[in-house]
Amino acid sequence: MSQSISKLHQILSTGEFAVTSECGPPRGANKNVILKKAELLKGKVHAVNVTDNQTAIVRMSSISACIHLLNTGLEPVMQMVVRDRNRIALQSDILGAYSHGIRNILCLSGDHQTFGSQPDALNVFDIDSMNLIRTVKDMRDEGKDMSGFALDDPPRMFIGAAANPFADPFDYRVIRLGKKINAGADFIQTQCIYNIDRFKAWMHMAQEEGLTEKVYILGGVTPLKSAAMAKYMKNKVAGMDVPDALIQRMSSVPKEKASEEGINICIETIQQLREIKGVHGVHIMAIEWEEKVAEIVRGAGLIK
Amino acid sequence: MIVGEQKPIPEIMKTIEPYKKLLILGCGTCVKTCFAGGEDEVATLASALRLACKQQDKEIQIQEVTVERQCENEFIKEAANAVKENEAVLSLACGAGVQAIVRLFPKSPVLPGINTTFIGIQESHGVFIEECQGCGNCGLATFGGICPVTRCSKKLLNGPCGGSKDGKCEVSKDIDCAWQLIIDRLKTLGQLDNLKKYIPPKNWRTSISGGPRKLIREDHII
Amino acid sequence: MSPQYKPKVTLFYCINSIDKETLKLIHAKVSVELTTVEMACSSMTKDVYLLRAFESGADKVVVVACPETQCRYVQGSIRARKRVEYVKKILNEIGLDCGRLSMLNATARDKETVVKFFEDIGNYKLLKN
Repeated sequence: MSQSISKLHQILSTGEFAVTSECGPPRGANKNVILKKAELLKGKVHAVNVTDNQTAIVRMSSISACIHLLNTGLEPVMQMVVRDRNRIALQSDILGAYSHGIRNILCLSGDHQTFGSQPDALNVFDIDSMNLIRTVKDMRDEGKDMSGFALDDPPRMFIGAAANPFADPFDYRVIRLGKKINAGADFIQTQCIYNIDRFKAWMHMAQEEGLTEKVYILGGVTPLKSAAMAKYMKNKVAGMDVPDALIQRMSSVPKEKASEEGINICIETIQQLREIKGVHGVHIMAIEWEEKVAEIVRGAGLIK
Repeated sequence: MIVGEQKPIPEIMKTIEPYKKLLILGCGTCVKTCFAGGEDEVATLASALRLACKQQDKEIQIQEVTVERQCENEFIKEAANAVKENEAVLSLACGAGVQAIVRLFPKSPVLPGINTTFIGIQESHGVFIEECQGCGNCGLATFGGICPVTRCSKKLLNGPCGGSKDGKCEVSKDIDCAWQLIIDRLKTLGQLDNLKKYIPPKNWRTSISGGPRKLIREDHII
Repeated sequence: MSPQYKPKVTLFYCINSIDKETLKLIHAKVSVELTTVEMACSSMTKDVYLLRAFESGADKVVVVACPETQCRYVQGSIRARKRVEYVKKILNEIGLDCGRLSMLNATARDKETVVKFFEDIGNYKLLKN
């Protein structure tokens, strides 16, 4: 890829420390929710992930929310999960998204529908996230859809994938990362990092395998709002690793200071991440707390 | 085996409502093994239904018959007279058994008495676990003999997802992470390289996605 | 129902928990119409037998088994309890009071407890009607 596919691609390829954030679409058709979030994020980050019915709760579609963001001048990263659509619908939506100017995609499996508001739904999982990555790559590099049909104006997407260094089995996590890179991932956004030691161990393994040379890794962070949230993340959210020391730190400050402490921890984590070789950026997931992204970005000295 | 579970009695009571002479037809194969539709369950259900009808002042005559296999015509024929003598059949066989009766006795109403749940095994006494979805394209050789299509909640062929924790699935602590099992087993077999292989999108045409399936064995057709 | 009505009780019992003497005492002291089913072990308790007892008109069905740790065949009493619990579920489903089925763990030495248990059943029935 000599030419930059997207702004995010360009930032990463020039070696600048990339900053991405997240925007969850509304549970309704109100586009003003997106516009408001866009206002908060504009000029603060390089690109904004738009979630795809996250936690299996029906929301405005990722594609349309991405289009709203594009119209405000922000660069979206369209998240796409394989839970709800079969390969026909997925490919069709990729074509549509590209036609609207969407240039980044994050390929995911998706939370299982039993976590959501409609657990009775049939899930699809026709292909898995690995297959989706390969599909988007083949569309871009071969110009063909999954049937091998040559596409008229093939979509050229900058392809992202997720990695969770905190899930089990640990040894396998780097093998999986390698598989995603081989399948076609250009960048990786990780699960929220609270256990920096484990993240470092994972990065070290990735480096030994030569993977950090092949892919841009953006470390994920989520500011904690309270000690209760820290405990919830530790106990209730799948694939999350929140060390007890962090929970203690959140509990040790008075309640009204807790969110401030959460922001501090987040900023410290980002600063630590910047020191790790092979980390190319940070992905700030301030869940329904987008107004804090600017503060975090400023605090960490990321974007002037 | 095909695993099934008896429907709640109130639901059965509703479906048998129009009938005064009922045949409860059991099956002595899979559903017997999973305690859902064998001779014993037929007897228990018959007794419970008689009591329930008595409670509701409803008249009913119940005949109890169990055939060896309700999905094979030769065995079903043994119940032919009983089917004809009754107004309806409450079948305790799996969905295949129920429909086999339907095919053979086009004029008799046939009602399902169990919910067919899955193809599985008895993991320990009284605990049944799903092992196969009958996808028609077995890939067990690649996965160390553990089926991700059935046992991974997301059917991931290049798993595990980020929700695998301490060997359990994010969906429930009662579900083993199939991918943890696959990895453990491949380790034992010295086949960890299988994990590095990219598994392409699955061909689902052989599964139910391809429409109702049919298998023809020319060599057995005369 | 007249106050003289004797509740019909079907008793399924393990021969190790109720001996002949206990049985005699029950017959002598308790005012119920008793049908008894002797079992070599309470594990022989089956769903359908309990239900059929109700079908035959029993007001109350009782299973007497050895204490769970003292079953001669190790798991018999546990199996009996599981069967009783299962049939209680069925009774609930069909709209019969599941209290009409009960279970008692006793040894042949617990004569008084057993007799008392049956006396209570007699009273319970009379009070209820």
